[in-house]
Amino acid sequence: MSYFVIDEKFLQQLEALQMLVKNNVAGLFGGVHKSKNFGSSCEFADYRDYVPGDDITKIDWNAYARFEKLYQKLYLDERQMHTRIYIDASRSMNFGKGGKAEQAIKLAAAIAYLSINEMDKVSVYVIKDKQIHTVINGMVGKDAYINSIGELNSVEFDGDSYVSDAIIPSNVGYGDGMSVIISDFLTDNDYENGINHLCDKKRDVLCIQVLSREELNPQIRGKMHLFDSESADKFYRKNITRDIARAYKDALEYTINRIKNTCAARGAAYLNVTAEDDLGDIFFAKLIDMEVMK
Amino acid sequence: MSFLYPIGLLGLIGIPILIIIYIIKSKYTEQTVASTYLWRLSEKFLKRRKPLDKVTGIISLILQILAVTLISLALAHPIITLPDSATEYCFILDASGSMNIEGSGGNTRFENAKAEMLSRIDDAVDGSVYSLIYVGGDTRIVFEKTSDKQQAKTLINELTPSYHEETYSDAIGIAQGYFDKNPGAKTYLITDKVYASKKNIEIINVSGAVDNFAVSDVTYTLLGGKLTVLGNVTSYESGANLTVALYLDGAQTPVVSGMIVAEAAIPTPFQLTYPADGFSSIKIKIQQEDAFPADDEVIIYNAESEQSYKTLLVSDRPFFFNSVLSAVTNARVDVISTEDYTGDKNGYGLYIFDCYEPKELPVDGAVWLVNPSGSVPESGFSVQGQLELNGAQLLELTDSSSALAAELTSGVEGKDIYISKYMKCGMYRTFTTILSYQSNPILFAGTNSHGNREVVFAFDLHDSNMPLLMDFVVLMKNLIGYSFPEVIEDVSYYVGEELMVNVVTNCESVRVDSPSGEVSYLDMSDGVCEHQLDEVGTYNITLMVGGSPRQFSVYSEVPMAERAPSALADDMSLQGEATASGLDGEFDPLIILLVCLIVIFAADWMVYCYEKYQLR
Repeated sequence: MSYFVIDEKFLQQLEALQMLVKNNVAGLFGGVHKSKNFGSSCEFADYRDYVPGDDITKIDWNAYARFEKLYQKLYLDERQMHTRIYIDASRSMNFGKGGKAEQAIKLAAAIAYLSINEMDKVSVYVIKDKQIHTVINGMVGKDAYINSIGELNSVEFDGDSYVSDAIIPSNVGYGDGMSVIISDFLTDNDYENGINHLCDKKRDVLCIQVLSREELNPQIRGKMHLFDSESADKFYRKNITRDIARAYKDALEYTINRIKNTCAARGAAYLNVTAEDDLGDIFFAKLIDMEVMK
Repeated sequence: MSFLYPIGLLGLIGIPILIIIYIIKSKYTEQTVASTYLWRLSEKFLKRRKPLDKVTGIISLILQILAVTLISLALAHPIITLPDSATEYCFILDASGSMNIEGSGGNTRFENAKAEMLSRIDDAVDGSVYSLIYVGGDTRIVFEKTSDKQQAKTLINELTPSYHEETYSDAIGIAQGYFDKNPGAKTYLITDKVYASKKNIEIINVSGAVDNFAVSDVTYTLLGGKLTVLGNVTSYESGANLTVALYLDGAQTPVVSGMIVAEAAIPTPFQLTYPADGFSSIKIKIQQEDAFPADDEVIIYNAESEQSYKTLLVSDRPFFFNSVLSAVTNARVDVISTEDYTGDKNGYGLYIFDCYEPKELPVDGAVWLVNPSGSVPESGFSVQGQLELNGAQLLELTDSSSALAAELTSGVEGKDIYISKYMKCGMYRTFTTILSYQSNPILFAGTNSHGNREVVFAFDLHDSNMPLLMDFVVLMKNLIGYSFPEVIEDVSYYVGEELMVNVVTNCESVRVDSPSGEVSYLDMSDGVCEHQLDEVGTYNITLMVGGSPRQFSVYSEVPMAERAPSALADDMSLQGEATASGLDGEFDPLIILLVCLIVIFAADWMVYCYEKYQLR
């Protein structure tokens, strides 16, 4: 199943962006993101007393002239980040003509390219029911990106999804980068604990809520018996009046606020997009405004 | 409550069918959506529902059940009986001549009277019954105790007024009959007249203060080449200054009266003179306009001008007859000699055979046989031979008291009429003898076998001194009158009077053309035709005599009593005591049912739209 086509020009434009990570990254390999350890970058960090055996090129002679004591200059270290992208692969993401699945895949591909461009490691997972399935694992480098990104087309959107139940038991890493969750978040199931868990693991979290136009502004009226695409047990049978339409709007607003407030409470970033939104607008406007990119 | 078509209630079967259909058929549209999460969540945000919302789901069913019920009821056409709410109405409609006067609103009083009746019928409760007695020309019941409003209104709208002068005795008699049977009946008299008193009758007066002028009592004299016309004009409502114009033979003359100051309701005389030797008709017309043009003019036709006779005189010595005919009639006389008469002449009103006996009597006119020397077939008498008297002998004038003898001898003294010889005749048909000698008929009149009037002179005028006497002229005039009876005895009538037409010899038909163009052919079996004049204006009478038309005209005026806008009349009462009892009224709720049905359909449509498109 083909969900997207990589636009090379757009990827070139993405190269101008840089992901901003709030937490210091504790990656194994060197990279472009600040680490909490001292290293060999150009950015001065601190002084410490000279100990014999230290690199004498990093002795601050100006300080010796003033204090007649040897001080060693310390510099910040920069590490590689591990970006983990979680895609909600429930059936609701790909039902009808909403295009949410396609938008989710495109977002995942674009974010992955951004990370790859910064020499980061990228893993892409899909959440199905209460499990995480790895689509791309530890992808580094553009060659790997080009070879692996097509795997996203093989994602099947089916069944339900339990974000917390899927993420918490999985290996989410610790303080080594950013976790991105792409979902419609239209579920009774718990996802707050999943986000909390990621935050507890010192990861930057970006939640992207993808909604379709039909979900934002439904045109359904009259006596309707609505079946849920994810479960036959879930249905809604009602004469849909304007009052109910208004209540739907309130419910939508509540749902959006629920994920937005959860993210705000834990310092996670939240982005709401529609299936029809242009990727350029999302990356070059919204994410920059949110200071997730620069 | 009753139903006109109870079978329509079978439509109520549709209600259980509708309910079953409603139960069986789900009206919910099934659709699969990506997620019902938001829809289910919306229940928590739904405002508290109004109690009415609980029945929202079955409003459509309720409306449809109501619609089926109403349709069934409408098909059954219910009639609701309302005890004592209806009334019996009896209308007496004055259709006399004065009802033609223009009343308020530009309509005639008659139109206003009809509007009054229609209004009352419209306002009446269904189940009321209506009777209408029309008093115009004759009294007739237009409809009697009908409860069909539409039919009654249709018949009322077809009514037209007459120009007659009316009395209400017959109408009151009929209304009294209705009142006796139902003292609760309401009797209305719609008229333009004012009555001194009334009882049990409500009088609806449709008169109005309008100007009405009339010309009346028109006479004329024609002497010495001068025509003098006299008459009266009257302004009935108020005093007015009037002028009248004279029309002669249909054309207006320069003669117009001076201003006639007519006081209210008082006839004021006028006189017009105009040089004329004769005329066919005179018309006098008031030049001011008023509300009733029908009585503004009077036409007088010259009867004598119409009564022209064609006479054939077969004589070798025609002097006496030719002279006297010219003197006493305006007849056209064709004179031929006995040698020229071949017996094929026809088309004359009178044939005079002077000292000549035709082989066959003419069949298309009156015949005078003068001194016939022999018997003439079909003549009704035989000639036995000529008797020569010993000198001149005096004739005797009949002293018969018969009407014909009196007509023929009118104005004749008959004292000095002598003859010297005569033809002895024997009569085998009934003749009226006018002059006789020693019981021998000398001058007698009757009808021949062809039915034509016949006068026999059993002597030669040249053997008598009669032509020298004044009696000759008078006698000739009487005989001509007998031979040519006047077709029309009077040329001026009032509406309601009978036109009398004398059927002349060999008359084939009598046709009367009314002013409105209505054509009537009169019954001639009695010798005198009668025709009632119902319209104002000129009636043309055409007699077909021997294949030739003879035309006369008479003028019919508005009766004098109908010219006044209103007049006091007698008591107008029904005997007995009125009661308040009414008839059982009927209320037809069909219209209400239909309106309710439309409302329900509209409501159901709105509910449908509300459910389908959420218009709320």
